[in-house]
Amino acid sequence: MGIGLKVRRLALLAGMAACAFGLSAAEAAEKHKIFLSMSFIGNDWQAEAANMVKAMASHKSLADKVDLQVQVAGPNAQRQIQQVNAMVQAGAEAIVIFPISPTALNQVVKNACDKGVKVFAYDAEITEPCAYNVHIDQEEAGRVTAEWLVKKLNGKGNIIAVTGVPGTSVDDLRTKAAKEVFAKYPDIKIVGEAVGMWSQAVARTELSKILATRSWSDINGLWMQVGCFTANSMQLEAGKKTSELLPCAGEGSNGGRIQMLPEGTEVEGAASPYAPLGAPRISYASPPYSGALALKLAVEAIEGKDVPKTTILPLPVVTNETIKLCNEGTWAEMKAGCNAFKPSLVSNPGWFASIFSDQAPEIGLSAALVGQPED
Amino acid sequence: MSSTTLPSPASSGFGLRRALMRNRGALIAAAVLAILLFIVDWISAGPLTYFDVSFLSSGGATSALAAIGQTIVILSGGFDLSAGAVISLVNVVLASSMDPMAPGASILLWTAVGIGVGMAVGAFNGFFIAVLRMQPIVVTLSTMFILQGVTLLVMDKPGGFVSPDLGTFYLGDAITNWLPMPLVVLGVVLLAWFWLKGTRFGTALYAVGSDADSAASVGINVVLVRFAVYVIAGGCYGLAGVFISAQTGSGDPLVGNPLLLSMFAAVVVGGTRLGGGQGGPVGTVFGAYILMMVVNILLVLNVSAYYSTIAEGTILVLAALAGSISHASVLAVQLRAARARLAAWRAGILPSQLERVDRRLRIAGPSHHQGSPASPRPAFHLRNAETLRYALPAYVCLLIIVIVTQIWLGRAILNPGYWNSLLVLSSFLAVLALGQGTVILTGGLDLSVPWTIGISGIILAGMVNGSDAALVYALPVVLLMACAIGFANGFGIVYLGISPIVMTLATNGILQGCALLYSQGTPAGFSSPLLRWFMTAKLGLVTPVVLLMVVFVVVAVLLLGRTPFGRRVYGIGNGLRAARLSGIGVERTLILVYMLSAVCAAIVGIMLTGFSGQASLGMGDDYLLPSIAVVVVGGALITGGRGHYLGMLGGVLLLTALQMLLAGTTLPYATRAILYGLVVLGAVMALRERRLQ
Repeated sequence: MGIGLKVRRLALLAGMAACAFGLSAAEAAEKHKIFLSMSFIGNDWQAEAANMVKAMASHKSLADKVDLQVQVAGPNAQRQIQQVNAMVQAGAEAIVIFPISPTALNQVVKNACDKGVKVFAYDAEITEPCAYNVHIDQEEAGRVTAEWLVKKLNGKGNIIAVTGVPGTSVDDLRTKAAKEVFAKYPDIKIVGEAVGMWSQAVARTELSKILATRSWSDINGLWMQVGCFTANSMQLEAGKKTSELLPCAGEGSNGGRIQMLPEGTEVEGAASPYAPLGAPRISYASPPYSGALALKLAVEAIEGKDVPKTTILPLPVVTNETIKLCNEGTWAEMKAGCNAFKPSLVSNPGWFASIFSDQAPEIGLSAALVGQPED
Repeated sequence: MSSTTLPSPASSGFGLRRALMRNRGALIAAAVLAILLFIVDWISAGPLTYFDVSFLSSGGATSALAAIGQTIVILSGGFDLSAGAVISLVNVVLASSMDPMAPGASILLWTAVGIGVGMAVGAFNGFFIAVLRMQPIVVTLSTMFILQGVTLLVMDKPGGFVSPDLGTFYLGDAITNWLPMPLVVLGVVLLAWFWLKGTRFGTALYAVGSDADSAASVGINVVLVRFAVYVIAGGCYGLAGVFISAQTGSGDPLVGNPLLLSMFAAVVVGGTRLGGGQGGPVGTVFGAYILMMVVNILLVLNVSAYYSTIAEGTILVLAALAGSISHASVLAVQLRAARARLAAWRAGILPSQLERVDRRLRIAGPSHHQGSPASPRPAFHLRNAETLRYALPAYVCLLIIVIVTQIWLGRAILNPGYWNSLLVLSSFLAVLALGQGTVILTGGLDLSVPWTIGISGIILAGMVNGSDAALVYALPVVLLMACAIGFANGFGIVYLGISPIVMTLATNGILQGCALLYSQGTPAGFSSPLLRWFMTAKLGLVTPVVLLMVVFVVVAVLLLGRTPFGRRVYGIGNGLRAARLSGIGVERTLILVYMLSAVCAAIVGIMLTGFSGQASLGMGDDYLLPSIAVVVVGGALITGGRGHYLGMLGGVLLLTALQMLLAGTTLPYATRAILYGLVVLGAVMALRERRLQ
């Protein structure tokens, strides 16, 4: 495995060198030049999404048509503006972009559109009308999960809410929609609210702070954008039995999905807390395949097909009733309904498991893990 | 600047050379920028047209404008962390108050509003820093938190409207196809600076930055100069906010925050010395554009995403190195010193080769030590008066916070679980405070903390993969790697003469790239049961890590207070030259200091992996600013030389207790941020500098 890794890195380096010296110029003449502008690359979701885009670009149906170049803008909207400009100058036919800000890019995107460049935003939205958007309905995500939690608690109880990154549209839409639901039930009380930054590690720190002055027995349910996996682990550490775990509405991490499987299920590689616990959960996600789908749609748009300006992805929702373990994680297997992956295949419990799209048979588990497309 | 050229009887050639020497930083930055432009032009498909230049000029203008303000603050010996937050605030104020229905907007009016908001914030900063003589870094850090809260109150998500007229004006052409407007705006600001520099105020600004005490003694009103500096800088950030509003045509409450770190890099790459007195905004403008050009360079070279932060870090170091090449640069001095040492070794006259005889001076006559103890040892509170004065405020505030928690939330003082949580959650920052604190005591700053934490956690989790036995070799490997990281930082700072901020910022980027390459984007592996037990289990009432903390605190206090290493650290912080002349091995000590900081960060990475059960990318991101804040809240001086570890520990406990209090409430995030900023500001009120004599 060590040697394999080295070979792969060498190949990567060689590829870089080749591109740097402009060898690809001649063969790329036939191909569509498409750029991917990513945001901050330093988190699990972004890296997974990048892998899936790369896999899509190298799938046999697209490999001959697409010359994909990936660039990172970091968390800085100003840099992404500059980057999009530079991509337009470099002759992009389409730009697939994870927008750092839904509004700050409007001018530069309009500029790109005016030059005939197709701009596809994935996961988050760009409000400029000429841009194509591929994302889930964030309000629906907030509403569906909140309604599930209310139903689980029979409309009564103390809950803790852990939100995302304050000041972003995604967090705002989800949280407001959820709070509207909770407001309808006077017996549901939000007794603690923390900023979770969409990170399992932050969720643990914030929950620890809340629990310093409160005990688990005062709490009846959890509504979290990310962190149910961590919350379940913490309850076990605090001495709760698996049957006493609180209902948690939250993210689609693979760790959380495995915990939803009935206790005692045989799962290869499982070790507590990354193990079947029968935890009462609803799991939803902003799926990381949205970038790959955006790329596919971008190629269709370049080829003159009619692509709608807004593609709302179906919200991937998994509950204890619909949870099902995958054996290998091929697209065909996921199509048949499986939605959780063995820890022996996915060793990182924070990894996002909502990778299935019936519109994208090109990509499966190995696309998300290592950027390899399906056959 | 006539005063400096008047007494010089030199020929015009000599004068020119002096002028070149004085502006070397700016000139080299300009040369680097020209080379980068040439590279982009050479590699990219088409020639560089006016259109490209226009795009580039607008791309770098926001950070250049803000960095000009930061440069002026740094020239006066200050530091401003609120710059990014001011840009966000101005952006949302403009975007939320412009009427989309009203046709045409007054460019003059809205520019004045933006600059006015910035200056008001500057006046707030200036009041606390100049009039109350508080440390710039804490005041501006508190302002940053307060402004982030206020910004979210004005606009809680992206949106709003900025009139396109603003965009047409600021991004258009001053002279069609010849001169883009952003360059004119920058030119006007720089001209205003040149005018200011020529006035008495300009001279006073450099004087205060070089040596505030001397400036005061020649009759300069230091308070007024400092106050004015922050107001002017605030105006620059305000203008940058107006510019980004024009550029984006809308508001986003997070738009300015990420500009902060690159702003410092721009200042340093542009040849301004941190600590004040040397450099100027012209170089900074080139510095900002150099950093912006990196985006284009990475694009034309098609550098893979995983390598981009590595490439950026490398470019940053190379730019900083290029800016310092000269006969007097640290690298040249070190090389000459090495040659001299080699020659001395050949000749056999190195001190270590000489005979070991006692060559100390013998002072004749009575001395206090020889006679009987003339004066009794002063009482404890007198001996440690200074330490107590600076360390106590943090503990007093901690007590207040705990009492407020008890009254507001209940279940605090008598609840052992509360104290245990406080100590466990404090343990991360307590460890970081030793590393960052020691670096700050020497007058440096370590910005590579976030990804040292990240890569340590990721590599540990990957190697351990749930096995306790693997800890035996994984722990030493990770700690050794941290030593290497710290050594690289220290080496760059000491032997290559790169400023600590730039060196550690570059290291941070390089480590981020390495972590991504190592993990292929998704970190594998998880913590072993023993490590998890250590961070989350309970032995009776306490978590095992709390016991380690007790040991750690004792070791840290002894290390800084009772060892030669500790005394050397304080010596270097109080005066580098004096330390060198008294025979302290400055180079070796500084390298050890940065190694200590990296090892502390690695320990935190290991602890966080145990705490969370796994490692994740970006797990260290939230620890950079707090690690600096706790050190300063604990009474340390950011310019080095003063501070006690127990004070820093008080700062850690205070900030953690405050966060626990706020987390227990259901206050909205914006209000929490404002409260957090206000409490930090209040806590350091007691740390004010004594009035200048």
